Parts: sequence; structure tokens; C-alpha cells
Amino acid sequence: MTYILRRLALMVLVLWGVTLGAFLISHALPSDPAAAAMGNNAREEQLADFRERNGLNKPLATQYVIYMGQLLRGDMGTSLRTQNGIVNDLRAFFPATLELTLVAVVFAVLIGLPLGVIAALYQGRPPDLLARTFALLGGATPVYWLAILALTLFHERLGWLPGPGRLDVYSLAPPTHTGLVLIDSLLARDPAVFWDGLRHLILPALVLGAYSAALLTRMTRSALLEVLSQDYIRTARSKGLTPARVIGKHAVRNAALPVLTVLGSLFGSLLTGAVLTETIFSWPGIGGYATTSAISLDFPAVMGVTLIAGLAYSVVNLLVDLAYGFFDPRISFS
Amino acid sequence: MTAALVAERGTGSAVWRRFRRNSGAMIGLMLLVLLVLLAVLGPLLVGSPSTQDLAVRLAPPSAAHLLGTDQLGRDVLTRVLSGARISLGIGVSVMLASLLVGSAAGLIAGLLGGWWDEVIMRVTDIFLAFPGLILAMAISAALGPSLTNVMIAVAVVSWPTYARLIRAQVLALREREFVEAARALGSSQSRVAFRHLLPNSLAPLLVQGSFDVGNAILTAAGLGFIGFGAQPPTPEWGAMVSETRNYIAQAPWASSAPALAILVTVLAFNLLGDGLRDVFDPRKGV
Amino acid sequence: MSQQTASAQKIHSFSRGLALALSLGLSLASAQNARQSTLVIGGDFSDLITLDPGVSYEFSGSLVAGNLYDTLVIYEGNDLKTLKPRLASSWTVTPTATGSRITFKLRDAKFSTGRPVTAADVIYSLTRVIALKTPSSFLLTDVANITAKSLSAPDAKTVVMDIPKTANPNIVLALLTFNVAGVVDATEAKAHEVKGDFGTAWLKDHSAGSGPFVLNRWDRSAQVALDVNPNAFRKSPNIKRVILRYMTESAAQQSSLNSGEIDVAWNYTPDAFKAAQSNPKFKALKTDTFMLSYLGMNSAKGMPFEDARVREAVRYAVDQDGIIDSLLQGLGRKTQTIVPIGLTGSDPKIYYPSNIAKAKELMKAAGKADGFSVDFLVSTGSCSGGVPCQDLAAKIQADLAKIGIKANIKQMVNSELYTTYRAQKAPLIQADWSPDYPDADGNGTPLSDYAAKSLAWRNGWNNPQASKLAQTAAIETNAAKRLAQYGQLTALLAKDGPFAILYQPYKPVVIQAGVSGFSRNANGDVQFEKISKK
Repeated sequence: MTYILRRLALMVLVLWGVTLGAFLISHALPSDPAAAAMGNNAREEQLADFRERNGLNKPLATQYVIYMGQLLRGDMGTSLRTQNGIVNDLRAFFPATLELTLVAVVFAVLIGLPLGVIAALYQGRPPDLLARTFALLGGATPVYWLAILALTLFHERLGWLPGPGRLDVYSLAPPTHTGLVLIDSLLARDPAVFWDGLRHLILPALVLGAYSAALLTRMTRSALLEVLSQDYIRTARSKGLTPARVIGKHAVRNAALPVLTVLGSLFGSLLTGAVLTETIFSWPGIGGYATTSAISLDFPAVMGVTLIAGLAYSVVNLLVDLAYGFFDPRISFS
Repeated sequence: MTAALVAERGTGSAVWRRFRRNSGAMIGLMLLVLLVLLAVLGPLLVGSPSTQDLAVRLAPPSAAHLLGTDQLGRDVLTRVLSGARISLGIGVSVMLASLLVGSAAGLIAGLLGGWWDEVIMRVTDIFLAFPGLILAMAISAALGPSLTNVMIAVAVVSWPTYARLIRAQVLALREREFVEAARALGSSQSRVAFRHLLPNSLAPLLVQGSFDVGNAILTAAGLGFIGFGAQPPTPEWGAMVSETRNYIAQAPWASSAPALAILVTVLAFNLLGDGLRDVFDPRKGV
Repeated sequence: MSQQTASAQKIHSFSRGLALALSLGLSLASAQNARQSTLVIGGDFSDLITLDPGVSYEFSGSLVAGNLYDTLVIYEGNDLKTLKPRLASSWTVTPTATGSRITFKLRDAKFSTGRPVTAADVIYSLTRVIALKTPSSFLLTDVANITAKSLSAPDAKTVVMDIPKTANPNIVLALLTFNVAGVVDATEAKAHEVKGDFGTAWLKDHSAGSGPFVLNRWDRSAQVALDVNPNAFRKSPNIKRVILRYMTESAAQQSSLNSGEIDVAWNYTPDAFKAAQSNPKFKALKTDTFMLSYLGMNSAKGMPFEDARVREAVRYAVDQDGIIDSLLQGLGRKTQTIVPIGLTGSDPKIYYPSNIAKAKELMKAAGKADGFSVDFLVSTGSCSGGVPCQDLAAKIQADLAKIGIKANIKQMVNSELYTTYRAQKAPLIQADWSPDYPDADGNGTPLSDYAAKSLAWRNGWNNPQASKLAQTAAIETNAAKRLAQYGQLTALLAKDGPFAILYQPYKPVVIQAGVSGFSRNANGDVQFEKISKK
């Protein structure tokens, strides 16, 4: 319990650091967000008025105090570009990225874990070579190129899977509850939209998950090999247990630790990897929002995105650490 | 002290023997040697990567243009070869910069401990929680898009890994006999660090470093792809994929060639990293 | 192995079950109808920030607002010289002691809310823009020179607008065709007012207009869905729903148009457009614009382009034909003066045929025979005509290198680009300019008058003669005199000005062959209600 409290306190500290870092970087920009928001043809008076209204001409420290004050009240400020509350903007864009990331993690696990196990079982033989080749290629392919290839091949040429976007043009989105199409469509009891949403998720999630799947294959393989070479597994084997049983009973459990660690860090990198994937797949997520915000020097929005990504990363890593407790044999066996 | 040195030398030649037997590592190394040769000699063999010839724009591969031409009629092969220097340069310098900063931070944290350790580790926590690409985008936007700024941006997000690695090594090695012996003999803190701890952390650093060169190339190319990197007409591979992707239907070769170049380079570094890890730590892999 | 087959079968029957459910839910015929009456436009709509007609100042916002709201007067289709009635059935311009007075008589019309359109709604719509200081409000306050006091309503169907002598009534009427003067249902807007915002927050993603469509929903960064407005006087007989689908990448639009997922693609690259031209499945439309793509050369003291001869040399060196024929694949027109083709006052003369020898001579005469090095600021992303800015920049860089000018390309995001430009710190810039209203003055003043603090000022070019000409021509009401004044002004700028015009782009739009009635005019308006689909 004290451990969790300590971790939560640390998380708050880390998040505070992230906001401070984001604030410093975004305010070190030598450029003028007013010009960005008001367009090319705006007059000087309009720009001055915009700065005044958005508090951009206050001293840096004052702006920071105002921002932190708002943040403590759960208000991330107003986007300079969209003039919406950042919280509203994030609520609109985050679910799409979350859904894509979660499905990508699921794909990565569904592909990476079995491949890693197979590779370890057939060490040095053809299945291992295939799995390792996949792991190497998946870890080295630029994600945006993979995205373009996948879209051209599976959508345009073969027509197997739908193109960009979360839903077909003719399926109107279900009423928003969670913002996750798969869940909202089920809540609306609309299997057609669910199916449509799932089909739209396949390509971008596979592309986004490819790198993670590759990494996971490698980690699972090497973790399993290490465990398999240890004494108690040798003992189990010598007792006549089949390799599959050994893997199922002991090895997977022990190999889960390094794999869990990888999963935690993957989640963080997936969120940022989404920036590139979302561009190609016209995915209405936080990646595109972050890019557009950075381009239009929309500081509050960039800070909002940074904060939410930092939060997601911290929460997932906390969960991973807690999950150690369940998998660590020293704890579960004692 | 002497014993430690002898032991190190002994490990060195054993390592090389194991390395030669590791096919992945050897393939990686050979690919890298080839890439470096191309990067050094390539630009001498071909003309300027910026020569335009609008009459032959988007031409398919032919004898005159082995990998075809791009939207401005520039020779794709020439550009890919010229880009090798840039991408390798980015990868290696980012790795070195983050290795230097990260190792220094990690050494201080590990050796001095206490508050130093606490503060440095919390700072790495913050940097790790920071979404990398967004941080890089922000830095790139703040400093203006250029290759140097991309390198700074990528280095800023990758140093914490080294800091943690070195700190863990230091904590593990600190208790080992030869370090304690050196201490007992009156070696200063910095002497212990540079003569004993750092050389003995070389193996994990090499492994991490070779993976990181690949990662840095990928990240930098990603930044180039969204327009935060090299400026035209610089033949940076990521920027090349980005510039030519609008023409993928008309000229798939123009974007595939630089993309494959990225793939092969990153692959080479990953193979090398894998191999080095197997070699240094024979328990894992093989 | 057998397990795999079983699960594959399971998935298969699952999808079949779903398809069955789908076909039961929607009868086949109605699904067919839905497709025929729905128009899907794929494009880069990332500039869409708000659908409030008084606030929106981006191309996508204007496109949508033009179909949700009506203005008093309008230019119909491609005729941008004749004003047509819209909400105003007639109008008169009469001179007054202080300037002129425009009197509008309103037609019978209803908002989508069912309320009638009255003079009070018109006045509310204009005054809220003035009070809100929106990005486009300067059109009303600075160009039309009106305030809330200039507007009155003698009765529910009459609007009176008094404008001072400093504004040209013809220009005022021209800018009233823009969405900034779109009429919103005042009662509805007031009902959704929050903290004196005149309903802007609500109107951002709701509609309350009298146009042929109403907003169904806007899924940000995904799509905007418009439904037909049953109360509209501009009836849409065929299209009942319009969907604007966000597709930033041109490649994505190409694959979706090929697969039939979208009916209209908004951002084709020139090469993809060329391929579409010979494809019988599509109609490739070259639509007009009043935009100019140009090089801005900083002519201030001490800047590289201070000497007029260097600026002329650049104009001789730029290979306009190469840009238009190769990079743009014909999606641009060659012009060299500051008033775009299609507006009264434009000058078709080619002052600078491509001539490197001549350009070198001029460089030599200016004492720059050895050339010089200069930072060349360029936007990221796509430039007008659909060509990626970086390709255009690389081409110009190669052209300038021929006369010894080493242009170092600095790609910047638009916001930074314009910040630098505005601060007069851009030595050489490649940019687009689009007039705020379809009149020669929309370019005349900003491009020639230093005092207007626009493009002439940003390029440090101060020519009193040009300023005077631009100011006189702006308020000149005699058509013949005005034409002569613009003739002088354009010639002066072609010779001495800080610009090298690159091209006047066409906007490429590719539509399915089965779509008819689609037309985009040079202002960027598309009347969705006139479209039908096979």
C-alpha cells in the first residue's frame, strides 16, 4: 500500500515535470501564435487584440502560474487555434487514438508472443529463423512507409479492407458514450457499425503494432531461452514433462516479467508512433491534433497532449509494476 | 588492478571469437562496412544529388537512372547514396551525444548516490514519460527545422536510457572485488569511474548504442517525414520518402528506394546489436 | 491445422450473419437511394476550425458556410462580375452627404429553424461580427468602414447601410457576398449565447441559417455531415446529404476515389490529376482561382533585393513555363502582374520572357555579377495548384542558381513563415496570395501600398507613386478611369515591384463521371444543391 502511495506521489512529480518541460519548450518558441491563429491577411490591430484576449502578453512566470492554477482545477486552458477548451478537444481526439493503440497492443501481443514462443521452442530451426526475420524486419521498417504500402496493397489493389478513417462514409457514427467506436456501437446494439469499425481498425492497428510485435517476439524469445536454460526447467524436463507443458507451466510465467516491461514501454511509444500512422490513415486522433497544434504554435494544446501522453505512460507503467506482483513467482509462491 | 586488466584483455579476444561465429552479427557488420564504404565513396562516384532535369521526371529505372528519377528529374540512386552520409551521421552523432550525456548522468547518480541519485533519476523519469516524437516536434519547431536540430531533439529523448543503464551497471559493479580493491588502494572517485567502472560497462553500452543508432535513424527519418527535419534539396532519407510519397502511384521507386535504404541500415545496426548482446552475454540467445 | 480452419469458418459465418442483419435492417432499395442522394467529398479539411459564418476565414469553412447560410447578395457560378440577389431581392445605391447608402429589400425566406428571415437578423449578424472582432471582421470595419451605427431597419424587410466616402460601395457589395456577411437566425443564436459570445461557441458546430443545408454533425478530423434543409428557398432536389470526409493525404484521396468510396477529391497532386484526365471513370476539373503564387523579394535598404535590377533579373531567371508545364502539369496560368486573370484590371502582357543572358546582364549592372547567397523561406505542405511546396522551392532554387543566386531553402510551418514575413525579416519568400474580395483592389492595395502594412510593406518596398495609384483606384467609381489606373499600377509593379509572379493556379478537383452539376468558382464556392449523382 505504501508502495502504491509512493508511486502515485512520484507520478504526480513526473507529471509536474512534464508540464514544466512542455511549458518551457513551447514558450521558448520565438514565434507568434497570434499570427498563426488569425491568418495570413490579419491586420496588426487584430493580432494585438488576440494577444490581449489570450493573455499572451503577460510575463512568462505569470502565464505559468495562471496555467498551473487552471490545471489544478482540471482546466487545461483554451486552444488558441480552435478556441475550444483543451479538455473538450482531448475528449474528442483521445478516444480514437486510445482505441487504435489498444487494438495495436492486442495485435502486437497476439502476433509477438506466439512467434516468440515458437522461435524459442524451435531454436535454430526454420520456424525460429522465420520468426527472427519477422522480428528484424518489423523493427527496422519505417512505419509511414509500411502504412502507405499496406493502404495501397490491401485497400486499393486487393480491396480486402476499407481505406482511411474510422468508419465507412455511409455508416453514421454511433451516439458517443466512450468515444471508442467498438464499444459505442455495441452499446447502441448496432452490429453493422461494430463490424465496420473493426474492419477499419485492422490495417492501421497492424501497421502501428508491427514494430511492437517485432520487439515482443524478440523479447519473448530471449526471455524464454534464458528461462529454459535454467536449472529448475531442466529438472522439470528431466522429470519427463513435454516441452509444451514446461513452457505452459513454468517458462511462460517467468518470461512474463521482461515481456510485461516491454509492454509498458511499448504503450508509451505507440502513442507517439500514432502521430505518423494517423497521418496516413486520416485517423481522427490525438497524433494529428498534436501535429496540427505544433504547426500552428498552439501552446496550450501541445501541453495538453503532452500531459495526457505522459499520464497514459505513467499509468500504464504503474499497472505494469503492480502486475509484477502477480507474475513474480517469489511473491505468488510464498 | 593488473589482474583486472588481464582479465579484460582475455575477454576481448574471446569476444571476437564468439563474434565471428555469430552469423547475424557478422552479416550486420558486413552490411555496415558496406554502408560506410558507400557513404564515403558513393558521392565521389555519382554527380550532384540536386541536379534537376524536368524532361525526365518520374522516369522508371533504366540504364541511365538505375533507380529511376523523382518528381524533379533527379537521379534517385544518386540521392540515396548521398543520403547515406546524412543518415549514418545522424545516427552515430545522436548515439554519441546521448551516450556522453547519459553516461555522465548515470555515473554521477550511481557513484554519488543520495540526493544526486534521487534528482537525476527523477529527471530521467520525466524525460521517459515525455512523449518522444512530440517533444522532438516541439524542439524542432522552437529551434527551426534543420538537421542539427533534429539531432538535438532525438538526443534529448534518448539519453535517459543510457543514464539508467550506467547507473545500474555502477551499482552492480561497485560491490565487485576489483573495484573495492581499487578503492582500498586509495584510487580517487573519478579514477575508479574512468579506469574501472566505465570500461566494464562497455559491453552493455555497445549493445544499447548499436540499437540506438538504428532507432535514431528511424526517429530522425520520421521527423523528416512530417517536415521537421532536413531542408530541401538535402537528400535525407526520411524527407525523401515524404517528398516522393505524393507520387507513389506514378513512381513507386522514388519513395521505395530511400525507405528500403532506411530499412537496411536500421537492420544492420539491429543485427549488430543482437550479435553483440549474444556475444557479451552467452547465456542469452544462440 | 483443423483448429485454424474451424475458427476461420466461425469468422466467416459471423460476418455473414452480420451482413444478413444489415440487409434486414435496411432494405436494399433504400441503401441504394442513400448512396445516390449522398455526396461524399474527400479532402484536406484540417483548416476547418468553426462553422460560424462570421468567424470562419478559412477555405473549408467558407465552402461549408456558403451552403448553410445565405448572404444578401451573391455571385452565381463562374460569373464574378455580376451581383445576383440572394436574401436581398433588390438593392439600390444612392449618394449621401457623407458617402453612400445601400438599401436592401429582403425576399421571403425561412431559416432552418422555421423562423422567417428579417432585417433584424441581418443587422444582428453583421453587428455580432463587428463586436466579436473575428479574423474576418476587418472586411466590415476596415474595408467597408461600417460600424453598428451604420445599419438600420426601417421595416422588417428593409436593411439600410450607410458607408462613408472612404469606402467604395461596389467593393462593399462584393465583400457582402462572403460568408462573413452570412445571415444567422438571431433568435436562435441569442438563445445559445454564453457570456456575451453572440452564440459563437454554439454556432461553431451547429447551424442556424437559411441555406440549402443544415449541419447534421461534425466529427472533428473525421467528417462533416450536412443534411438538406426542408425550409430552404434554394432547394436541393437530388442531394439530400453531403459528407466532407477528412483525407489529408493526396494518396488517400486517390485510392478512395478509385475504390468509389468518395465522389469528389479535393486535393489531387498535378501528376495524379493528369492521370485522372485520361481516365473515363473520372471528370478532372481545372477550376479557376484568383490566387497568385509569387516570390516576395525584400527590397528594403541593405537587403539583397534592394536594387530593382536584381529583382528584374530574378523575374527573367524564373522558368515559369517549366514550373507550369512540368511541376504543375498545366494546373496554372502564366501571368506576371499583380491583378489575377479574371478580374477587371488584370494585364495579360508578358513582361519577362525567360532570358538567362539578360538576367545575368542585369546582375552585372547591379554589381552582383558574382551572385550572392540568400535565405529562401518556403512553407511546408502543399502549395497552390497542388504542387508540394518543397518541389516548387527546389525548382526555383535551381533556376536562381543559374544567375549566381544561392537560395538556401528554409521550410517553415505557415505560422512561423508568416510571423517572419510580417516582421519584414523574410529576404526571399515563396507564398500565395488570395484577394479578400473579387476586385482588383483586393490585390492592388495590399501588394502596392506600403502604408497598408501588407505585402508591399512586408517586402520593404515603399513606392509613393504606387501607393497613390492604389488608393485612388480603390475608391474610383468610374469604370474606364479605374481600368486605366490599374493599367498604370500593374505596369509599375511589373517593372519595379518586389514580386516575381510564378503562376495563377487552377484548383484541381476530380469527381466521379456520374456526378453532374458540380462547379467551383474562383471564390471557392460550390453550390451543393445543384449537384446530382448517378
